[in-house]
Amino acid sequence: MSDEQISLPFFAIVLLVSGLIVRYLFFSGPRPERPPARTAEQIFRSREVAVQRIQQMFPQVERRSILWDLQRNGGNIQSTTERILSGRLETPPVTFQPPPPRNQTPPSGSPGPAAKQAEKPSQPDLITRYNLKSKITDETATEEKKEVEEDKKGKGWSSNRDERQSALQRRRDEMILAARRKMEAKIAAEKAAQGSS
Amino acid sequence: MAQSTAHRRLLQEYRALTNNPPEGITAGPVSEDDLLHWECLIQGPEGTPFEGGVFPAELKFPKDYPLAPPTMKFLADMWHPNGMGPLYPHSRHIYIYIPATAFQHCAKPVYPSGLVCISILHPPGDDPNHYEHASERWSPIQSVEKILISVMSMLAEPNDESPANVEAAKMWRERRDEYEKTVRDGVRRMLGL
Repeated sequence: MSDEQISLPFFAIVLLVSGLIVRYLFFSGPRPERPPARTAEQIFRSREVAVQRIQQMFPQVERRSILWDLQRNGGNIQSTTERILSGRLETPPVTFQPPPPRNQTPPSGSPGPAAKQAEKPSQPDLITRYNLKSKITDETATEEKKEVEEDKKGKGWSSNRDERQSALQRRRDEMILAARRKMEAKIAAEKAAQGSS
Repeated sequence: MAQSTAHRRLLQEYRALTNNPPEGITAGPVSEDDLLHWECLIQGPEGTPFEGGVFPAELKFPKDYPLAPPTMKFLADMWHPNGMGPLYPHSRHIYIYIPATAFQHCAKPVYPSGLVCISILHPPGDDPNHYEHASERWSPIQSVEKILISVMSMLAEPNDESPANVEAAKMWRERRDEYEKTVRDGVRRMLGL
């Protein structure tokens, strides 16, 4: 009697243990295999993210070297970062050719014109570029004499670095303003010619 | 050491250009803290639609200048029939990449960068395609002044034999008046007029 009573919980424990063993043997086996199969794409993407993150910190490091290091340490950003910082990053062998970054090819759905426009910002005109607005407005006949003097001062090589710099700037400004004056006169002449004809 | 050679050479060229500036050219470093980055102004040659215009450009020198040539880029919206695409990287002709955003009425804008590609700016040695002689290409005996003068003459003589800026070249061939007006309008806009 007592023997049987003892064996019941014992039996239950045996069942439980054997159930766990069966589960361990047959159901947990496939599990470690599954992730890599499922995430070849994910790994690629997470590598890409990792590379981007590392490149933000170290733009001088080549993408290929980063990928090589990440591949060898299993995608550990931190250890790659440490290796870069300590200068122990190895150059990958020639045979290592990572796939090109995917996000650089623009999605085909994106509108072409918009992308193109972003590429070529319009250049400001010279007056805006060199900040000459004020010089245009107070430009008068008396100014020209001054400019002649400035020209004399501006000519020639100065041994002082700052003087050289400002002389260059003066010559630059003068060139633009002179061209503008000439063009203004030309436009005025054209208008007059049109008016008289 | 290479840095200091470039440094010395650029300072020497800067000095020559200051003491003896060529007609219609102003050039010098943006700041003497960085002698490898220059900005220059080039006057449009007379007798061309670029006449009366002033065009800013940027010169960037490599650390091993004068062994290697600088790169030059127009900072203006320019339009010139010799705007070239990467289709003809070894053309013997002078060409510029030109952004045409200043000319809104042109349906097809051309090149975004403004990069100047003339043979004098190509690395030394003979062109593997035998289009350019070694003498036409960069060598340490060339100089900033020579580059700028070449670019100026390029503006004067558009050569439409190998144009990648098809739109501009076509207009240049077929509708010269319109081309010249387009350029002139751009010149005026550059001067803020």
